Amino acid sequence: MVAAEQVLDVEGHPCVVVDRAAMEYRVVTSDATAVAEERKEISLLSRLTRRPNTVTVQALHELSLVVERGESVGIIGRNGSGKSTLMKLICGQVRPSSGAIFASSTPIMLGVNAALVGDLSGQQNVVLGCLAMGMSRREVAAKFTGIVELSGLRDSIYLPMKSYSSGMASRLRFAIAASIDPEILLVDEALNTGDAQFNERSKRRMDQLREQAGCVFIVSHSLDTITSMCSRVVWLDKGHMIMDGEPSETVKAYQDFTSNLAKGNGITAARILDEARANLHMTEVLGRSKMRRSRA
Amino acid sequence: MPAEKAVLPEPALVQPLAVDMRRLTRVGARPGFLEYLVQLWDFREFIFYDARARVQSGTRRDRLGSAWLLLNPIFSGLTYYFMFGLLLQTGRGIENYVGYLVIGIFIFQASAGAITSGAKSIEGNKAVVQAFNFPRATLLIGVNIREMLANVPLILAMLLIVTIVPPVEKITWLWLLIVPALVLQGIFNLGLGLILARIIARVHDAKHLLPFAMRAWMYGSAIFYSYERFVSHPEIVAAMKLNPLFNVIDIIRNCVLYAQPPTWQSWATLAVWALGALLVGMVFFWQGEESYGRG
Repeated sequence: MVAAEQVLDVEGHPCVVVDRAAMEYRVVTSDATAVAEERKEISLLSRLTRRPNTVTVQALHELSLVVERGESVGIIGRNGSGKSTLMKLICGQVRPSSGAIFASSTPIMLGVNAALVGDLSGQQNVVLGCLAMGMSRREVAAKFTGIVELSGLRDSIYLPMKSYSSGMASRLRFAIAASIDPEILLVDEALNTGDAQFNERSKRRMDQLREQAGCVFIVSHSLDTITSMCSRVVWLDKGHMIMDGEPSETVKAYQDFTSNLAKGNGITAARILDEARANLHMTEVLGRSKMRRSRA
Repeated sequence: MPAEKAVLPEPALVQPLAVDMRRLTRVGARPGFLEYLVQLWDFREFIFYDARARVQSGTRRDRLGSAWLLLNPIFSGLTYYFMFGLLLQTGRGIENYVGYLVIGIFIFQASAGAITSGAKSIEGNKAVVQAFNFPRATLLIGVNIREMLANVPLILAMLLIVTIVPPVEKITWLWLLIVPALVLQGIFNLGLGLILARIIARVHDAKHLLPFAMRAWMYGSAIFYSYERFVSHPEIVAAMKLNPLFNVIDIIRNCVLYAQPPTWQSWATLAVWALGALLVGMVFFWQGEESYGRG
């Protein structure tokens, strides 16, 4: 690895700084050989206290990123490449196992996972979610109709959330999260879970939010979305950063890679991957001023 | 596929970037303790809404709805009366055994319910915890407020039983002392819930031990027998008098049944337990603040 001799200064205040963040999980596996392999090295004591059948999965290898105001960063990669892990780290839902993420304000993730509190009605979930994001009751009241409209739930809003279809629940979640105007916005794919009508509305709201936001991160499998919305694209593969650059260039390399994989040309695909990686300019964050690099 | 096994080449260059970090804060960083308390106060609307919404929906699946809040302790009261009062006769020598039993059961179950649901509240609210960034202790405060609200009709029913079922007790000014006793009890429940919630969020297995611990605690709180049966074993009596829940029950029994002002020792023990649990619980829970969102 070659270290550049010149240190570049980043002008102004960036929105998000990912400083050598890495993430590993211990997960249960049914692969006995992998367990035996790992267990050879550990002592008897930890063998007893540790849960059986677990292996360490490196979801994200050490990675640094500096994202400035006005940037929209697309994150692409195959399934399991660490896209969602990176998003979870940036929004603070999970703490990286090493390194840290710094941001100029609390990032908001527009995710679409399942219900919030299944026993409560959609209406109650709206109020609860908004209050949990730090709004006051008055702000919630002012935004309530807008949220219901965006979700398109109409009268179903009064039914318990556990009776919702997964599409309805994710629409409501999106509408709740989109009600706040965040400076840093994270959008997880799968926004296309709704019907066409909802997609139209949600796209409009997203555009609005992107215009207001300081910076945006988008994870999507739709490369068209990525090229049209982003000013910078990061390609991850198996937790490694492969490329970080212009949307058209990165998306093209990734497309080449996946289409070769699909055709069964594993060797060509690997060559594309290696080539992209070999040309990568990684960043390393140096704090100016006495910064809070200290690990709390 | 051979391509999968290949080692990735090193990147061409590692470019150091000097960044002005002064306006940045670490994402998800745990605030200082006092700052945390301020945040809790800022989220008070969330806490109250959470508490109220869930009281209403708690029993919605059952046909009798909220009536179960009341029927539950009544049925357990009947069971214990049958077992311990009639069959085992543990109530011999206790004046107004029905009142004695009813107060013991209602008050203990109020605590057991609050502590158990407090302990499980982080684990049970994963979806909300992962979706939003808010101080997590708000969930526990919400749960405890909800339990206290749900207990109001219960306490009224308890007092009603005492005034209706013979031997009928007269209402005195001492009954007002129930309120501070219940408040201290609520504070204690919250504190203990905070401690258990962090433990359970980290080690799920602890959840399975909770019911046994609660059961043992109940038998140790002189609910269907009088502690005087241990008069020959002063250590047991001393240990029992340190039990915070026994103290709550004892204070309320003295006020309601025997028209005796509770001793200052009972109040002191209870207050120390309550405030101590709250302080220890808050600090302990706050230290784990960053770990609760993990998958």
